[in-house]
Amino acid sequence: MGTQWGGEIRGHMLSQLIANGLIAGGTYALIALGFSLIYGVCRFFHFAHAAVIVCAGYLVFALSSRLGVPLSLAVVLSIVLSSAMGALLERAIYRPLRAKHASSLMLLVASLGIYVVVQNVISVVFGDDPHALLSGLPTQGISMFGARITFIQVIILIVTLLLYSATGFFIAHTSAGRTIRAVASDSELARIVGIDANRVMLLVFALGSGLAAAAGILISFNVELTPTMGFDALLMGVVAAIVGGIASVPGALLGGFLVGLSQHLGVWKLPSQWQDAIVFVILVLFLVLRPQGILGTPVRSAAV
Amino acid sequence: MEYFLHILVLIGIYTVLAVSLDLLVGQTGLLSIAHAGFYGLGAYTSALLAVRLGASFLISLVAGMAVAALVSLVVSFPSLRLHDDYFVIATFGCQMILFGIFNNWVSFTRGPLGIPAIPQPTIFGWNVRSRISFVLLTALLAVCSYLVVTLLARSPFGRVLRAIREDEVFAQSLGKNTLRFKVTAFAVSAALAASAGVVYAHYTTFIDPSSFTVTESILVISMVIIGGPDSTWGPLIGAAVLVTLPEALRLLGLPGSVAANLRQVFYGVSLVVIMMVRPRGLVGRYGFGR
Amino acid sequence: MATIRCFDLTKRFDGVSALEGVSVELLPSCITAIIGPNGAGKTTLVNILTGFARPDEGHCFLGDCEITHLSPHRIAQLGLARTFQNLRLIQQVSAIDNVRLARPQQRGERLSSALLRFGLAKEELRNTEEAMRQLKFVGLAEKARELAGELSYGEQKLLTLACCLATEAGVIVLDEPVAGVHPEMTLHILSLLSRLRQEGKTVAFIEHDVAAVRRISDLVIVMDHGKVIALGTPQDVLERSDIMEAYLA
Repeated sequence: MGTQWGGEIRGHMLSQLIANGLIAGGTYALIALGFSLIYGVCRFFHFAHAAVIVCAGYLVFALSSRLGVPLSLAVVLSIVLSSAMGALLERAIYRPLRAKHASSLMLLVASLGIYVVVQNVISVVFGDDPHALLSGLPTQGISMFGARITFIQVIILIVTLLLYSATGFFIAHTSAGRTIRAVASDSELARIVGIDANRVMLLVFALGSGLAAAAGILISFNVELTPTMGFDALLMGVVAAIVGGIASVPGALLGGFLVGLSQHLGVWKLPSQWQDAIVFVILVLFLVLRPQGILGTPVRSAAV
Repeated sequence: MEYFLHILVLIGIYTVLAVSLDLLVGQTGLLSIAHAGFYGLGAYTSALLAVRLGASFLISLVAGMAVAALVSLVVSFPSLRLHDDYFVIATFGCQMILFGIFNNWVSFTRGPLGIPAIPQPTIFGWNVRSRISFVLLTALLAVCSYLVVTLLARSPFGRVLRAIREDEVFAQSLGKNTLRFKVTAFAVSAALAASAGVVYAHYTTFIDPSSFTVTESILVISMVIIGGPDSTWGPLIGAAVLVTLPEALRLLGLPGSVAANLRQVFYGVSLVVIMMVRPRGLVGRYGFGR
Repeated sequence: MATIRCFDLTKRFDGVSALEGVSVELLPSCITAIIGPNGAGKTTLVNILTGFARPDEGHCFLGDCEITHLSPHRIAQLGLARTFQNLRLIQQVSAIDNVRLARPQQRGERLSSALLRFGLAKEELRNTEEAMRQLKFVGLAEKARELAGELSYGEQKLLTLACCLATEAGVIVLDEPVAGVHPEMTLHILSLLSRLRQEGKTVAFIEHDVAAVRRISDLVIVMDHGKVIALGTPQDVLERSDIMEAYLA
């Protein structure tokens, strides 16, 4: 066993870590994108995004494993239902609160409450033990640059990039997307011009929740289902959004990959339990040194 | 009777947690999700000092509070310069890192195994051993925390905090360094939360990371919101209600884990309902601007 | 009492010039009016002056001290107080509590003093006296204990002025002090500004009410599209038809 062998093993490990990091990062990017969209338009921390993430995963599980629905149909249904769930939260809870001039802190507290309810209902119904979304999962895959990537992971990467491009295109090139951007950059002006902010918010919640659902389902396929996975994933997504730039679509992708890579590459040098701590140190570093993220515009603290 | 005294001790500890969080939420209008993290920081700091170095209770109390205050500065300075939303996210991150340290730094904190055999306190010759002594100790701590928070609230310092809560720009235009006030309030609330952790550690004589999770932070937030932000008795009422509630549920004979989840569902529902119907909670003065 | 001097202030938002090479001087014992159509950059100028916005180019001085990049609270501490177009106050506390808040250098605002309370009662007493003095000056003494939110619009404007004065600032900048207020209250506010001028204070205000401007200002600055298009006494500036056309357009 010489350095050559050691070098090869290390090389393989590095590629594997990079591959894992990119795949995880892709899912974080989806979460970051949905979250950014919602924050950009509605200007509050929609904690319950985590509820949508975890719900989507368990919906697929319930539909396919418990009700015998074919898997692909279950996935589609779950995404649709989860988007609807996000829109419902906006319509039934956030909009009435906004109508009563609730502060963003109140909206945050309400979304915290929603998340707690959803996560615990899931715990009661499905138990706290992890579930596998696919039993007898094929672990075959391809080998690329020394890394093993299962077919599932390939699908995750492709789906992530597809959804990303579709959303990016939607935001940049459709009139609905333009409306979203208008409200996000200046809601007062948008209102004056006649844009109905409520409808835009509904749209953004549906869209953002759909992305979150996709991420949740992909994560469930990649790892496993647990009631707290939505929460953990949201955290990564939020850090990704901040690191990449909170109002930036490409920023969310960049941030997602960065967070995924740091999380997984950190394992190389540090014990694996510190994966998450690394990400949060990065968060604090960015808040101190570059709060607008890599691609974001400078943060305005208060409108006067 | 022992059980009743145990409940009183818990109410005392949670009152300290709730009143210290109220300094942040009710007076300054900031939300922190890291309160359990600081609670744990106090518990772990004092437990480690007591078990590894034989430190006395008072020394570990001061140390726990100091460590919490220092850590709070790392969180508050970078984030409060920006926007209050970033502060919430930063406290989130802080909570996760602290829990990560308690749970994963096994060589230092023994991870999930926790720290056993924490000695019970001896304060100036008073050996706190019996449960009723602990009731006295926690009551003393609760009174002191109440005193600190009330003194701050009823001073020009508190006046500025509430001005920041209502209109930070106005406060700045009057020459108030709002960053300093927010950072100070956060540090005080973190130190007080840590003090509760110190007493908790020396009471239960065994701590593990599971007591200091995000769920715990949300529990304390619920106490403040249900009792009502910016109120004299709100934190105590919130603590009393939410400590006795699980016991009431237990009497209904529900299986342990389901009871825990249902409790949480109750917290979650209360948060939403209170925000929609009565933001100032039971006896709060601050209705989040509504 | 101090002089404000600004040189070549420039501020761009998304490619639009909010301010372009603006230079301004505000003198003691002098009331300067800043007028111009909406979007002319008047509030941006005041925001930059008071630290709530940063210019892309240019400098501001309060006396000898450069204040260009200082934070708003620091500038207020140095003696520049302002009011806001959208009337900022703490609505849920009394008028006198708002003014007490404004008092500078309160030892009770420090953590140690708040907890240990040495001399706190005496300091509060002095604060209250000073606050009452300012309320008397603006004519709100009888309403001292009423909640700020329950005062009439005009009374709230008086309250914001009282708060500015309570900070012991030498320079007072008011954003639309008489907008939306009845004629009697307008006269009252203007007379207060005159008295401040007599006391040697540096006073500046943004306004749309041309009559008010004509009545009490010593100097008028006319802005449009981010630039200063005219500067002079009310007689010079307000009689010029080309200026008034641009202004009213």
